[in-house]
Amino acid sequence: MKRFDLNWPTLIFLLGLIAFFALFLFYPLWYAFVQSLVVDGRLTFAFYELMVTSPVYQEAILNSFRLGMITTIATTLLSLPLAFLLVRYDFAGKGFVNGLILVPMVLPPFVGAIGMKQMFARFGSINLLLMDLGLIDQPVDWFGGGGFVGVVILEVLHLYPIMYLNVAAALANVDPSLEDAARNMGSSGFRLFRTVTFPLMLPGYFAGAIIVFIWAFTDLGTPLIFNYRQVVAVEIFNSIEDINENPMAYALVVFVLLLTVFFFYLSKATLGNRRYEMIARGAVTSGSRPASRGMTLLIYAAMLSLTGIAMIPHVSVFLTSIAERWFMTVLPQETTGRFYAMVFEHPMSLSSIEMSLMLSVLSTTLDIGLGIAIAYLLTRTRIPYKGVLDAVAMLPLALPGLVLAFGYLAGYSGTFLDARHYPVPLLVIAYAVRRLPYMVRAAYAGLQQTSITLEEAARNLGASRLRTLLQITFPLILANLVAGGILCFAFAMLEVSDSLILALKDEYYPITKAIYALMGRIADGAFLASAMGVFGMVLLIVGLFLAGRFLGRRMGELFRA
Amino acid sequence: MFGIELKNVTRRFDNVLALDRVDLKINAGEFFCLLGPSGCGKTTLLRILAGFDQPENGRVFFGERDVTAVPPHERDTGMVFQNYALWPHMTVWKNVEYGLTMRNMARHERDQKVKRALEMVQMSGYAERSPNQLSGGQQQRVALARALVIEPGVVLLDEPLSNLDARLRLEMREQLQDLQRALGVTMVYVTHDQKEALAMGDRIAVMQMGEVAQIGAPRAVYTQPATRFVADFIGEINLISGEIKSVNPEVVATDVGEIRGHAGYENAQVGDRALCAIRPEALDFLLGEPNATDNVISGRVRQTTYLGEVEQFLVELATGSQIKLMKYGATARGAQPGDEVRLRFSQQRVIVLRDGEEDRDEAV
Repeated sequence: MKRFDLNWPTLIFLLGLIAFFALFLFYPLWYAFVQSLVVDGRLTFAFYELMVTSPVYQEAILNSFRLGMITTIATTLLSLPLAFLLVRYDFAGKGFVNGLILVPMVLPPFVGAIGMKQMFARFGSINLLLMDLGLIDQPVDWFGGGGFVGVVILEVLHLYPIMYLNVAAALANVDPSLEDAARNMGSSGFRLFRTVTFPLMLPGYFAGAIIVFIWAFTDLGTPLIFNYRQVVAVEIFNSIEDINENPMAYALVVFVLLLTVFFFYLSKATLGNRRYEMIARGAVTSGSRPASRGMTLLIYAAMLSLTGIAMIPHVSVFLTSIAERWFMTVLPQETTGRFYAMVFEHPMSLSSIEMSLMLSVLSTTLDIGLGIAIAYLLTRTRIPYKGVLDAVAMLPLALPGLVLAFGYLAGYSGTFLDARHYPVPLLVIAYAVRRLPYMVRAAYAGLQQTSITLEEAARNLGASRLRTLLQITFPLILANLVAGGILCFAFAMLEVSDSLILALKDEYYPITKAIYALMGRIADGAFLASAMGVFGMVLLIVGLFLAGRFLGRRMGELFRA
Repeated sequence: MFGIELKNVTRRFDNVLALDRVDLKINAGEFFCLLGPSGCGKTTLLRILAGFDQPENGRVFFGERDVTAVPPHERDTGMVFQNYALWPHMTVWKNVEYGLTMRNMARHERDQKVKRALEMVQMSGYAERSPNQLSGGQQQRVALARALVIEPGVVLLDEPLSNLDARLRLEMREQLQDLQRALGVTMVYVTHDQKEALAMGDRIAVMQMGEVAQIGAPRAVYTQPATRFVADFIGEINLISGEIKSVNPEVVATDVGEIRGHAGYENAQVGDRALCAIRPEALDFLLGEPNATDNVISGRVRQTTYLGEVEQFLVELATGSQIKLMKYGATARGAQPGDEVRLRFSQQRVIVLRDGEEDRDEAV
């Protein structure tokens, strides 16, 4: 028997795949790397020197670190107790509560920031409400530190679901008999958690923490809205205009990239060789027990209040979108639907919706094609360097969007793909590459759960390989494909960093960039932007709901590292 | 070290009775086996002893102390889990040391005890290994050391040998017995393997559907099964049904003639529906004249199976039912298929059991 299944079609597809990843994953990164080191054909470390000596960049890097660290710690403190309640107890409506946790993710944090700014402004709803109630005399500066607190709050509220999914999965994977053994040896309570449970959760927890940290570190939209400009992401964004004169941004991008690589390497190096699942064998007792009445009440109280708080940005965006006049009052004095009408009248908002639809359809189509093919190669064929293909396809999950988008812009500047002239091809590719991991995972899960013998049975009865694929395999994994496709589409519609960086002309603005631009450009910008935000929110809710219906309980798996 | 007593312990899972009013006394220093098929409640019983599960009804005593509501970490039991449950993020040494750390023992004392425990299970050379680097048998020994090092009042073992291959299982069986005898510690050992229970236990409790069917020394349980279930579950047995004609000694009228034996249950009455239980090795071919105490039945050999140390014969009786006979160390061929034979078996080796309706469904 041959070692590998390498027929001509497979080989040609593989070569195409290699070219695709080389051009749109590695080349942009490599380009930024080279540009940060080479000026006029000479090797220089001047930019890196500047990065660590200049007070401006020092400040930005420090702020980004603080943002990332505080967000990671806060999301950890929120999700750990939450995971314990939801993994260890069975109670009525557990599925509903699990779904509730994902809700805050339906709004890009920077859109939420628009609403939050209205609500938490010096004379916004919250301060006025508290003053009316006599709880405070002076308005509170909620987003103290020049907006830093505001950014942190939004990042935490947006990212704790991702942290939760990772922590909960890690906890659920801890073999209950390992905890039983510790109890048997006299351990209990926090001591048990510290010595046995948490160490066993560490690999899964670390994976989640890295995602959250990198996300907060590189988020661009939220600091922009809060005008908190001294962070790495905004520095990179600002330097796009004069990238040819000031290559400092390359160094910053490479810094972010190296930071990401470093964290993932660190987690692999310290935890990678621990395969905890492997050891558990034999009968495993269930790790969850029924919750008492009081416990159920506590769980619901905790969940509903947390979700309530997490929904404040959403509510504030909604309120802003329907406010006719809203000044110095708790709730808008008059409500109106005219901003929703305006969404379809204002040339920029209208064209942005068309643009986003087109980009999302194209990128999702690309994702579906690539995703199925990659998942098929991984599960059903023997090809060399399978692990490498798997890793490369998953790479965009770890890669900050900012880094890739910047690499695209700079790397293809001056070519026929130049985003400054016509950003559509690069936007489609950027959207597609960033969401590809979701699609690969969805298809992979489907193929893995579908017994290969079903396909072999068809082959045995005379169906060709292609026919088997079309008539047996696809129908069996259709739910996974649809779910993956919906997710890709919904997230593409509300993509932030690629859109902000790559769309540089009004007529090519996707929704998110239009929201950002409208904020500063017209008098009613915040209201119109909020109305568009509500549209986006509804779209994402429907998308997640549909995907959840098709994927069932396995949905959480797509968001884990 | 202490004895254990369960009084009227009941545990239900979603309307399934896992334990039904179990009364049980385990003596201090005893090697006690809980034996039964899967789902009989033996593991539930063990988990209740460890404190991982609470009975709905009934009490559990360790010596004089009522531990029914005591949480697992305050029970002072050492448990060996079926999957060993060694913590993969700790070395062998740390695993064994853990229980001592939890007892706030001083460092030098811990070191001494861990060292001794590892020596005891012949794992001294592996202290710094990770459990993942050990074979199944080695993991088993570490788990045992971890349970023993805290010098618990009782050691609980949940099918500890079931994940090992056959040869290793025999080896570990002996080591475990030696250790138990050397330490004199009370051990409660859960298994579904009747040979393991017979070989290791000072006493055995045979469990069936949440109830204790019989408690006794291995020899007693094997030779004097109290119910059809016990007779069937432990070893092989031939059952011939009939009706009791007279008692003391019991005579049972069956379709193949009268069989004399002795009752395996209390208050055997004339007229009881009964089963004559006869082990295959209690049967022999009758060549000459029978002894006065012998039962004799005749039949025709259907099948012979040569198994090395033993040869097995299936004999069809006049009623059409088959009976199994085993002959140990037979050098020449005893009988051939088709041979008409007479079988003899002593009346001491016939146990007369109640042929209860409730038994009929459950027994194989």
